[in-house]
Amino acid sequence: GDLGPFNPGLPVEVPVWLAINLKQRQKCRLIPPEWMDVEKLEEIRDRERKEDTFTPMPSPYYMELTKLLLNYASDNIPKADEIRTLVKDTWDTRIAKLRLSADSFVRQQEVHAKLDNLTLMEINTTGTFLTQALDHMYKLRANLQPGESAHSQDF
Amino acid sequence: SFVQGSKLEIPLWLAKGLHDSKRRIISVELPKIYKEAWRTVFSADASVVDLHKMGPYYYGFGSQLLNFDNPENPEIAQTILQTFISRFRRIMDSSQNAYNEDTSALVARMDELERALFRAGQKGLNDFQCWEKGQASQITVSSLVQNYGKRKFTDMDD
Repeated sequence: GDLGPFNPGLPVEVPVWLAINLKQRQKCRLIPPEWMDVEKLEEIRDRERKEDTFTPMPSPYYMELTKLLLNYASDNIPKADEIRTLVKDTWDTRIAKLRLSADSFVRQQEVHAKLDNLTLMEINTTGTFLTQALDHMYKLRANLQPGESAHSQDF
Repeated sequence: SFVQGSKLEIPLWLAKGLHDSKRRIISVELPKIYKEAWRTVFSADASVVDLHKMGPYYYGFGSQLLNFDNPENPEIAQTILQTFISRFRRIMDSSQNAYNEDTSALVARMDELERALFRAGQKGLNDFQCWEKGQASQITVSSLVQNYGKRKFTDMDD
């Protein structure tokens, strides 16, 4: 699409890839998103730790954006180290919650699970394992049904 | 030719082929880990059992055993399923390095199905860590290509 106009001293919105590129060429200063702030992230981290469900994150790409901005523009981000730690802590809590959900789901042999507010990054990190495990469980459950077809599957 | 009532060890595929619930050519004796004594051990605490030593295809083989008409089949199927369920957490947590403990002892006691799962979990974690370090965007030489045209310098002298 079209971008600009670029006027010196005035903030303008651009795609992330362009922002990083311009920053690397030292042609601009990056303004962090409004949620990339210590107080806001502390709130999110605390809420994540308190609740059983997943907190809706301020961006579906919170991990990716944090990594990019802290890597290429940490000088433009106040308290960058604290932010890095807060995001990592929130991630760790969410992943632990995901594992807890998975275990509970398996134990109760549920058929359906609804996990709101997960980001792609989290899903991809645990996804392969989970889908394979559930696949195996499905086959083992099929064994419980009487009938020839249930037992003839190869493992 | 075989004497009726004799006991033989034959491969699973052969037993499956010979099995016919109407003609009763053969009957299958359960390996001990699928029998009641061991099933009780499993239901007490499945996570301590060395499934590799007992198997190493506990789940797969156990599922195939259900092809033979054995009155204990429902209990066997239930035990196999419950075993998987109770060991699931440990496999998941260890493959995702949740406790940072040494996993080799744990993996040694996993059957082949569990080990494959463990590897899947590890891969997810490794891919994430690779991304975190920024290695995901580095272009590396494909292992297929790496050895093309690599000859020793001395070989080129003729």
